[in-house]
Amino acid sequence: MGQYLPVVCLMILAILFGVVSFVASRLLAPRRPSAAKQAPYECGIVPGRELPERFPVSFYIVAMLFVMFDIEIIFIYPYAVSRQELGSFGFWEMIAFTAVFFAAFVYVVARGALDWGPVHKYRRLDSAVSAERTLSSTIRRVGTEGRLDEKAA
Amino acid sequence: MQLFVFICAAAMILGGAVGVILRSHPVHAALSLILTLFGVAVLFVAQNAHFLAAVQVIVYAGAIVVLFLFVIMLLGVDKADSLRIDPVKVQRPLAAVVGVGLMGLIGAAIVQGRSTLAQRGTGIDTASGGAGRDSNIRQLATDLFSNHVFAFEITSVLLVIAVVGTVLLARRPRSSGASDGESVIRQNSGAK
Amino acid sequence: MIVAAGTFTAPSIDWFALAPLLVLLVGGLVLLVTASFTPQWPKHLYAYATVALGLAAMVVAFVQWHAITRDGPKLLVGNAVSYDHFSMFGIITICIGLSLSAMVTDDFLRREGMEGPEIYGLYLMAAVGGIVMVMSNDLIVLFLGLETLSISLYVLAASNRRRAESQEAGIKYFVLGGFSSAFFLYGIALIYGGTGSTNFNRILTAFDSVPLQRKDSLVLVGVALLLVGLGFKVSAAPFHFWAPDVYQGSPTPVTAFMASVGKAAAFAALFRVFVVALPNWKDDWRPVVWVLAILTLLVGSISAVVQTNVKRMLAYSSISHAGFILIGLEAAGHSGASTRSGMPSSMMYLMIYSVLVIGTFAVVAVVGRTGDGATDLGSFRGLSRQKPWLATALTVFLLAQAGVPLTSGFIAKFGVIEAAVDEHSYALATIAMVSAVIGAFLYLRILISVWLADAEVGDEKREAMHIPISTGAAILLCVGFTIYVGVNPEWLIQASDRVVLVAVPVVGG
Repeated sequence: MGQYLPVVCLMILAILFGVVSFVASRLLAPRRPSAAKQAPYECGIVPGRELPERFPVSFYIVAMLFVMFDIEIIFIYPYAVSRQELGSFGFWEMIAFTAVFFAAFVYVVARGALDWGPVHKYRRLDSAVSAERTLSSTIRRVGTEGRLDEKAA
Repeated sequence: MQLFVFICAAAMILGGAVGVILRSHPVHAALSLILTLFGVAVLFVAQNAHFLAAVQVIVYAGAIVVLFLFVIMLLGVDKADSLRIDPVKVQRPLAAVVGVGLMGLIGAAIVQGRSTLAQRGTGIDTASGGAGRDSNIRQLATDLFSNHVFAFEITSVLLVIAVVGTVLLARRPRSSGASDGESVIRQNSGAK
Repeated sequence: MIVAAGTFTAPSIDWFALAPLLVLLVGGLVLLVTASFTPQWPKHLYAYATVALGLAAMVVAFVQWHAITRDGPKLLVGNAVSYDHFSMFGIITICIGLSLSAMVTDDFLRREGMEGPEIYGLYLMAAVGGIVMVMSNDLIVLFLGLETLSISLYVLAASNRRRAESQEAGIKYFVLGGFSSAFFLYGIALIYGGTGSTNFNRILTAFDSVPLQRKDSLVLVGVALLLVGLGFKVSAAPFHFWAPDVYQGSPTPVTAFMASVGKAAAFAALFRVFVVALPNWKDDWRPVVWVLAILTLLVGSISAVVQTNVKRMLAYSSISHAGFILIGLEAAGHSGASTRSGMPSSMMYLMIYSVLVIGTFAVVAVVGRTGDGATDLGSFRGLSRQKPWLATALTVFLLAQAGVPLTSGFIAKFGVIEAAVDEHSYALATIAMVSAVIGAFLYLRILISVWLADAEVGDEKREAMHIPISTGAAILLCVGFTIYVGVNPEWLIQASDRVVLVAVPVVGG
């Protein structure tokens, strides 16, 4: 376990640094709060509206993919270390494993789950191009009230 | 030394676990969970399972807790849910009784069966496994690809399902048609 | 058991023996990937592909059934998977459930506007998980199969994103299911601690290696936790609270899938663990199963009577059916006697019940109309006037579930009760019959609404019921199976008699 001593030392140092920083700033810094100081930083512009409370749910898909590939790497690592012993059997098992993974990845990409553009990118034009939509039904004439025949409009 | 490490790790684990259930702010609870997982990693190290300790830190303390934090962010970080609502009055005391009972049962079983644990436990061969510093991982690889190769392959299926399920439930609704447009509008109005 | 480094021998993999699993797995992946590249498949194609894959796997399983009859059972892939009649019977049950559910799902998805390949992909993956559970000969493999099945079911339950009930069902099932998986996993850990292995054969032999092993407290607690975990999955009585809410909230075809494939796989796993791996502790677990069976029977049939929603009623009736199958487990756990009658009758029950429950929920899916909401008892009133054939099919299913002679349900119920009587569990058999009578009241209540009551006020304003072709075909197949097995059960009884679970000896160490 001796090899972990540096890790323990680093951890203690990190904790110490955090604690010391907090205590020092508490003790040394002058406290003169003002409304401008406490406002969230928005490049000098006064914030116009409340920040959105939630992240978009698409982030979750990315996080899930991250976990998935994390686990895949964990499984690849033992194989990589004893690759010679495991021979071709291990190789093909690994290929099968990653192939299934790859299928999932292809699915995610092809399904558009990682697309971050605006939603209307995929809108079909069925509703825009149809016989009912004519110029008179889509273009609003301004300032013609009372001058044209109402029935024509 | 062994005992000291164990006590430190156990204190980390228990402190973290208590923190997870007592902190009302979800982010603090998630951070307490990291403490618990680190403690478990320390225990793995104490058992000479270095690879498992690394996996514990990378996958659990790294990936899984990050996922938890994502979920907390998705649901809104500022909401500390009130746990005072209690539709059925008896359920909390009952849960406490059952929990303590289960803990007592498992504790008693482990106390009574500790001799079996010593007999049965083979674990990682640290003495004769010898082959350099990677012996830990080599043993794991041999085992993974011989006895547990089927489980290993099925794991990939499990992860595929996790991804497909995530995409099915979390993907933004397709806007290919009138009804989908409607659900987009509903989602927007729901977010406000 | 960790083998020393440097002694690696690759386990041989018998691809033919794993074929049903591979067909569904590869088929499911191909379906998901190709479907995500081609945005709009022709109508019905997803469902037809799923049905075809299910049938292909079933055909392979039939071939293997005969191969096993000829060559005997064996263990595969490092002794982690067993290849025997029990596996094949379970696989055939799962494939039947998969194919029929996919047929019911086809038009349902279009009606509810939730079309997409994911549902079918998840069906296939869930079936893969179920098959892994059925074939498992190792607790870790069993757990992975269980999770594969369960996670698919959680997502499927929540898959109707337009209905809040579906989301609610998904989250309830997920939270409680995760909780029960934790119990199961802890049980595995304790059994590993007590026996030094997760392999069923090694667990079995660990009993003999140390005297007084039966008193080993670690294993006993482990067995208890495994029973809690699996008891949840099969919705046995003290762990059944999720079932009504989830069955009611999920999209109706998914409920059918859950009640057929999910339940069959979970029960098969229960038999695998308790009869193959833990028969040495059977004097310890059998009384617990006895209590669970009685509780499940009574809770299921009594609670069902006071419900007003048909999906909820069927959920409770599904709990009560779980009680009947637990009777088979109890009979299989008797000391001294052979496990001959308990196991086969339970597996036969599972197959018959899978078909019945899919048929019933298919009718419910049709009556539910767009929105999948009209499942209260009132919506079924006057069904016989509007759709007499649908009402007749529902009558067949409900009578079979009640256990009326000349239907498959009678054969199923008779089988388990006979098994209980053979083992002199007279109390259990009596309670089973009493609860069957109580349950019959529930089915009669639905039937009275269907045949004798007038339609609800305002029913004529609702959209007309529409029976799509594939759902109709599925209902017809279910009716055919129910009546055919009811009249002519010998072949199924003979087939299921081969399903005797004994631990397959380890081949080659």
